[in-house]
Amino acid sequence: MTSSATQEDTRTEEVSRLADPWVTIVWNDPVNLMSYVAYVFESYFGYPEAKAKKLMLQVHHEGRAVVSTGPRERMEVDVQAMHGFGLWATLQQSGAPGAGVQA
Amino acid sequence: MSPFRATPAGYVARWEPVEREVLARVARDVAGLLRSDAGLPDDVTDTGLAFTGVARVPRDPAVQRLLPDAHRDDADVAAEFRHLTQTDLAASKVARLLAFAETVDGTGDGADGGPDDAFSGGQVLVAREAAQDFAGALTDVRLVLGERLGLDDDADVEHLHHEVLTGLGIVDEADGADPDETDGAGLDAEQRSYWGGVFVAAGFAQESLMDEMLAELRARGARD
Repeated sequence: MTSSATQEDTRTEEVSRLADPWVTIVWNDPVNLMSYVAYVFESYFGYPEAKAKKLMLQVHHEGRAVVSTGPRERMEVDVQAMHGFGLWATLQQSGAPGAGVQA
Repeated sequence: MSPFRATPAGYVARWEPVEREVLARVARDVAGLLRSDAGLPDDVTDTGLAFTGVARVPRDPAVQRLLPDAHRDDADVAAEFRHLTQTDLAASKVARLLAFAETVDGTGDGADGGPDDAFSGGQVLVAREAAQDFAGALTDVRLVLGERLGLDDDADVEHLHHEVLTGLGIVDEADGADPDETDGAGLDAEQRSYWGGVFVAAGFAQESLMDEMLAELRARGARD
């Protein structure tokens, strides 16, 4: 992420899009506290407060949010972690219906 | 029950004896439910050893919520994920539920006497390094109670809060709940009132704990 060469960034992005066709989705549930969900997004993913809050509100209002993107193995790790926290999470291929909104 | 507050020793709240007793008991019950429904052997959390069993789909809907399908449409992906992860996931949940119960009522191996000896003043102290597991255990307890209480959407939760606060005399009964309310999967009114109270208390504890943990997490982030 520190590279200053725009051309290289673009190429890397394209390669990673091809290689990273999976997403982790967190679904809304009426029990989990908004503060807890924000804590999970900030502490586990390391997202800044504003991004964590945006995703948390997206889960709350739209019923789901894509919280991470990457190779399937990595998404399995994220989904397992989300289940550990007690969040309702699934993985799916990013081209699949409903997986359009990127984290 | 007082809210959790950050102190140098950790996060501290004061809970009444009955609150400690009930929340510890329900955490141990949830641990037992998970263990039996996920097919864990009795000693899996004592040894921490890997256990290679068949991870079956839980039958109890509350346990299904704690160990959900990892894919909505692809049963093969969900089954493979369950096979690979469920035993570890269930075992770690059981372990932290039991640790939660010990922290709350002090009847674990580390304490000499009952709750009265170990917890004079009704203080619940959650060490910082244990706080995430403590909050996770509270989450699992609340998810199971929420399923038992038939809490399917935000309106159900608000309704329950209203019922509980009305029962405590905090909210005026006049604009209160429908007396014929039969949500909650076969619970009678007394059971619903009891478990509703436990759900609300667990939520109050977790909310105050998360406020403190989030504040400290963000303060650490701001310093980095």
